[in-house]
Amino acid sequence: MGNADLRSLAALSECPFADIEGNVVAVDAHNWLYRYLTTTVKWTNDSIYTTDDGTEVANLVGIVQGLPKFFEHDLTPVFVFDGGVTELKDDEVERRRENRKEAEERLEQAKEDGDTVEAARLSARTVRLTETIHETSRELLDLMDVPYIDAPAEGEAQAAYMTRIGDADYVGSEDYDTLLFGAPRTLRGLTSKGHPELMELQPTLDNHDISYEQLVDAAMLCGTDFNEGINGIGPKTAIKLIKEHGDLFAVLEARGDHIEFADRIRELFFDPPVTDDYEYDTDINPDLSAAREYVTEEWEVDESEVERGFERIESSVVQTGLDRWS
Amino acid sequence: MFKAIVSADTLTDALDSVSVLVDECKIRLNEEEFSIRAVDPANVGMVDLSLDAAAFESYEADGGVIGVNLGRLQDIAGMANSGDLIRFELDEETRKLHIGIDGLSYTLALIDPDSIRQEPDIPELDLPAQIVLEGNQLDRGITAADMVSDHISLRVDEGSEAFYIEAEGDTDDVDLELTSEDLIDLTAGPADSLFSLDYLKDMNKAIPKATEVTVDLGEEFPVKLHYEFAEGLGHVTYMLAPRIQSE
Repeated sequence: MGNADLRSLAALSECPFADIEGNVVAVDAHNWLYRYLTTTVKWTNDSIYTTDDGTEVANLVGIVQGLPKFFEHDLTPVFVFDGGVTELKDDEVERRRENRKEAEERLEQAKEDGDTVEAARLSARTVRLTETIHETSRELLDLMDVPYIDAPAEGEAQAAYMTRIGDADYVGSEDYDTLLFGAPRTLRGLTSKGHPELMELQPTLDNHDISYEQLVDAAMLCGTDFNEGINGIGPKTAIKLIKEHGDLFAVLEARGDHIEFADRIRELFFDPPVTDDYEYDTDINPDLSAAREYVTEEWEVDESEVERGFERIESSVVQTGLDRWS
Repeated sequence: MFKAIVSADTLTDALDSVSVLVDECKIRLNEEEFSIRAVDPANVGMVDLSLDAAAFESYEADGGVIGVNLGRLQDIAGMANSGDLIRFELDEETRKLHIGIDGLSYTLALIDPDSIRQEPDIPELDLPAQIVLEGNQLDRGITAADMVSDHISLRVDEGSEAFYIEAEGDTDDVDLELTSEDLIDLTAGPADSLFSLDYLKDMNKAIPKATEVTVDLGEEFPVKLHYEFAEGLGHVTYMLAPRIQSE
């Protein structure tokens, strides 16, 4: 099910920051970084965000720009990094890789043609999370004293699990997939301007009068990250069919359709690889001078790119609020 | 119902102490006193002010709440000369405040109190150290600290029984030592906290220099600054949340 399909089913509401102050957000790190990489690099020359030897470090700018949003609203982020890629998702990864290759080729063409807008647009699509990006992101988060953990597989599944068992209050992700992983509450729009959007599981189920399992089944009929959907089934039809027949297999049987590995894919949503083996400290006490030095000296990011972000972090983290004592 | 006459000086002192933190506030017109409690939008600094009915030339109120734009009220009070009296009368029907200064009358539109930030709860603090000093001693330390840094450390040394106002800048440092002899009073206890000068400077501006200021302090705790004005009939308590100290 594409994002647009799930969006049409999800229970969404505006969520003023004032309502969620003091909470812990388990952030899908890959999703979050990706947003900053695509928006930071989008309309600018990517050479600004690479070192002299060509290593891309736009992620560092993204982290410095993105963290104040949490701190200024008294939210504690816990970043959840993806572990090994789930086996079933290999096809999807392969497909994305092919898309990227195609985008890269078109980018070359656009550059040759002098079409700068098209080139900028395409350049955003060729962004990938390199080893360096993974390593330097972790090192910078360490200096900022911002907690992060490694998921056994899908970061969003782990984040959803942590929210379900109460270790976090919200999942932070732009992906609607968190619903399918059973995340009770997801904050969307943490990387954009303005207040976030709250997506809730139970109201979603109530709106359609279905169970969580039925939501996953309906999503699989439309197609998920792990499977192609059935041709001609959109979200509304999927919900109708699932309610009519009860579950995915009954729908498939009635229509004579087939979804490969359907059993295993369902299990991936219902019971994804997650871990209880993590701990983190939500008392954030950053070493800002070391973080500044790391970004601007070790990784040669222009100071003007990160100064404002560091200032915002300093004033929001270092200054406590009186509400801590009342 | 609210009808009162007050000296321009007393009113100005009261308004100044609140306007350093907020632009708008609620005023509680209780039978026995006129009171304001407000916190700045970042929730870092709080003011709790009360002015006894006896501080007014005349005072009649029955517990209503009004919302005001402080800057506007200060401008109006600024039209009075020192020693002038200012007359207030609330028109309940139109929700306007009539203000009279000599022959000048001003009708002030009030703000809906519900549209103003909620009044904060006062944090319950058990602060182990208390320093009583003159406003100008505090002013001296704050002014000096402001030359070198944007934050200031307030500390009590239990051994030497002294109060220290310190600031570390990028290149220069400032250190003001006030021994128990220099101070009006000192209750020594473990106390060492760091504060933003932006806030403390503003609070300091409102504190009369010749007045006695009581400072309650703890370790990485908010500081409480208390002083009186209007011959002991006005009370102001500021609370300021600390900055986290880096090791």
